[in-house]
Amino acid sequence: MSSDRDVPVAADSGETPDPGETPDPGRTSAETTATEMMEAGTTAPDLTAAPAPAAAAEVRELVAQSLGQYLRAWWLKVRSGDSGVLPVLLAMVVVAVVFQIITPQHAFLRPSNLVYIFGLSTVYMVLAIAETLVLLIAEIDLSVGAVALIGGVIAFKLVQQPGAGWPWWAAIIAALVACGVFGALQGMVTARLKIPSFVVTLAGFLLFSGILIVVLGGADGSVNLNTSAFNQRVIYDLVQGVIPPAASWVILAVVVVASGASLWLRTARRRRQGLVAPPMSVTAIRIALVAIVGVVVVVVCNVNRGTSLKSVQGVPWVIPIVLVVLGIWTLVLGRIRFGRYLYAIGGNPEAARRAGVSLAGIRTWAFALCSATAGFGGILLGSFFYGEYSTNTADPGQLVLYTVAAAVIGGVSLFGGRGKALHGVLGGLLIGGIAYGVSLLNLGSLSTPLQYILPGGVLLAAVLIDVLSRRGSGSVTRV
Amino acid sequence: MSEVTRDSSETPAGATDTTMVADDLTAAREAAADVPPELVAQSLGQYLRASWARVRGGNSGVLPVVLAIVVVAISFQIENSKFLSAQNLVNLFEQSTIYMLLAIAEIFALLLGEIDLSVGLIMGLGSVVVAELVQPSGANLPWWAAIIVTLLLCCAVGAFQGTLVARLKMPSFIVTLGGLLILEGVAIIVLGGGLVGIGNAQYKNELVLYNIFNGAFNTTVSWILLAVVLGATGAGLWLRDARKRRHGLEAAPPSLTALKIVLMAVAGIGLVAICNVNRAHVGTIEGVPYIIPIVLVVLGASTVLLQRTRFGRYVYAIGGNAEAARRAGVSLTSIRTWCFVLSALISGIAGVLFASWQVSLTTNIIKAANSYVLLAVAAAVIGGTSLFGGRGKTIHGVLGGLVIGGIYNGLYLLGVSSQWIDVVVAAVLIAAAFIDVLSRRGAPRQA
Repeated sequence: MSSDRDVPVAADSGETPDPGETPDPGRTSAETTATEMMEAGTTAPDLTAAPAPAAAAEVRELVAQSLGQYLRAWWLKVRSGDSGVLPVLLAMVVVAVVFQIITPQHAFLRPSNLVYIFGLSTVYMVLAIAETLVLLIAEIDLSVGAVALIGGVIAFKLVQQPGAGWPWWAAIIAALVACGVFGALQGMVTARLKIPSFVVTLAGFLLFSGILIVVLGGADGSVNLNTSAFNQRVIYDLVQGVIPPAASWVILAVVVVASGASLWLRTARRRRQGLVAPPMSVTAIRIALVAIVGVVVVVVCNVNRGTSLKSVQGVPWVIPIVLVVLGIWTLVLGRIRFGRYLYAIGGNPEAARRAGVSLAGIRTWAFALCSATAGFGGILLGSFFYGEYSTNTADPGQLVLYTVAAAVIGGVSLFGGRGKALHGVLGGLLIGGIAYGVSLLNLGSLSTPLQYILPGGVLLAAVLIDVLSRRGSGSVTRV
Repeated sequence: MSEVTRDSSETPAGATDTTMVADDLTAAREAAADVPPELVAQSLGQYLRASWARVRGGNSGVLPVVLAIVVVAISFQIENSKFLSAQNLVNLFEQSTIYMLLAIAEIFALLLGEIDLSVGLIMGLGSVVVAELVQPSGANLPWWAAIIVTLLLCCAVGAFQGTLVARLKMPSFIVTLGGLLILEGVAIIVLGGGLVGIGNAQYKNELVLYNIFNGAFNTTVSWILLAVVLGATGAGLWLRDARKRRHGLEAAPPSLTALKIVLMAVAGIGLVAICNVNRAHVGTIEGVPYIIPIVLVVLGASTVLLQRTRFGRYVYAIGGNAEAARRAGVSLTSIRTWCFVLSALISGIAGVLFASWQVSLTTNIIKAANSYVLLAVAAAVIGGTSLFGGRGKTIHGVLGGLVIGGIYNGLYLLGVSSQWIDVVVAAVLIAAAFIDVLSRRGAPRQA
């Protein structure tokens, strides 16, 4: 499943298998041409020896000349087991419809609730993106919850006044660096000593849960943000702050135009240079979808969700923040060498090693970046809980379970080599939606247990789909 | 610590019994150069030399964990002279019981190269169910029926998870992760009002459950039981080795058998002597707690199952090389499923003890039950069970559980706060896993 070469594919390069290794009896002449073109576009050495399920369909998708061909190729890809974000999108629709029907007063899809769900979900989204980095290389990080909370507490402590009194950006950077160091330590133990990651991070979970309490200043310690101080206010506003409605529209317009133009120009350039690119109509539809989603989000967020005394409206800052995190990791995973190496290691570590990839180095970096990203998630978590951090704010064990569940539900494979940052975001939204939906149901004593049972059930279902899709694709995972 | 001396279980069953088909599989894993010393030694001296060679070859068995126990005991004794007092040792054993049982449960999964993260919450669910079932205002079952129903329920949970792992080939680590979330929810539902207790001595069934953990044999009965157990196991061990020698099979030299029996007797007498000291601050509490024979029975039964039966050999075969085992005709699905059932069964037994220990169960205690799984894995690995499957014995779980219990108990005596205790346990877990990795690297078969 790993993409190891500079395949000039639109946004999909992270999932492009190596066509050279794909036995494909039904290959047409058009596809052969495409393969040759892709060979010509190759810059990086060939690292893949991974089984490449659905490769044929993917190639068809690349060479589609019209919208119809593209859709047919996409459908073939889905049927062959590589369903991408489709299952999680379907699941989101089902969850939304079901909760809308069963919540009292059909409150689930109210704008105020949707914005709240998004705020809650951002934590899971960022943590799931972090976990994805490690899952891609077929490892796991069970310490993300504890590391995230430490990151949040460090940032909160550093902006305290009186106290360290650091500027907000320095506090955030320090927290991310500290978390990155924690991750690098775990990564080094995993990669150099070759101890299984789930044991290392299990121990890390214990270790960092202990350190968390020490950093908080004891079992009943806590740290709060004072919203009248500027630096603390900024961190508080990461999730709680909103962009004014008018500004929301302006920013949306800028974002849609910029991303649409760059997408259009990039595919146009590809076509001009004779590289593989999706048909014009597909690019146009993508831009239209981005615009529609953006408009819907802004409309929902601009509804007044405050009380009669105090109006609250506008897009929360956290939405562009999460989009930036998503964008950074999408670029890292899809466009630079480090990202390709992650997929290569996840697909077949031995092949990656023989191609000259430093397994220990890349693995250590993956853990370090995972923990740094998790630390940012922890800062958002504290901001979501109105700038308060105590030992009761969140249970690091439950957090990590939700995180893994979010990543796998989103479509990241547990077996390495398959997944994108986007999957973490969608999975996080689904988990957040379920968690909040259950709490809306007023089930009394049942609502607490359901907070555990539903994610557990969804996790099992997601893994079952993962396993079945791998089986359908013909690659044997184990005896 | 009579368990230490039970060294006969050190011999992999597959290697001694040359008539079975599955032998080759186990033997292949154990590597030719790695023959158990009992098989080649003709005298005690030879045996000791052979054991040492084996330790140096990477197969150190229980040696590291026994050393760890000694180190833990000495260092805490230096820091606090109460650590090795009779009162504290019994206390320490009681604290370790849950770790020991959960580690034994975990070993059934680890031997296959799988992991069961749900043991802590199977225990949690079991404790809630057994406590609810004996409530006079509720089901009001007799204590034995409540225990049977609880254990059956736990087995059903294990069978479900095992089926997902074995038939649908889902990674065990995720199945049991999802499983523990679901079990946590179910346990909270069963708990209903958020509190259930078995501390009411007016009701006989609650009293029996309470006494499982908190009761003890009286001192005379303790000695008689020890004599019976020592006589039976000593005679059994001696007769078995004698029979083997008579039939010309490989067996330990007589001096070794005698030494083992003597060590067992010394350990047993020491244990009973310690337990018979009055350990109450006020009044009298003395005698061997019921939990010691309970742990020994679980240990003995699981050791026999894994070391002496075909099922056990198949478990080691799958852990060593699943594909080879499959080609030799081992049904991977059923053995894997059964291992998860057994793991859940032993977790259920731990659950009954847990209910008896905690006396009243609350939602927070159930949530905390989750943290036991980390300690169970740590105990198994510290004891010498491999995370990669195919190597380990249930005695490792008992010894590892004792180390974990000792660390918790000792640090607690020193007034160390719980978060630092977690940090120490984490470091020990990493060290144990590192030793596991190193010994795999040293082993000749590990190319």
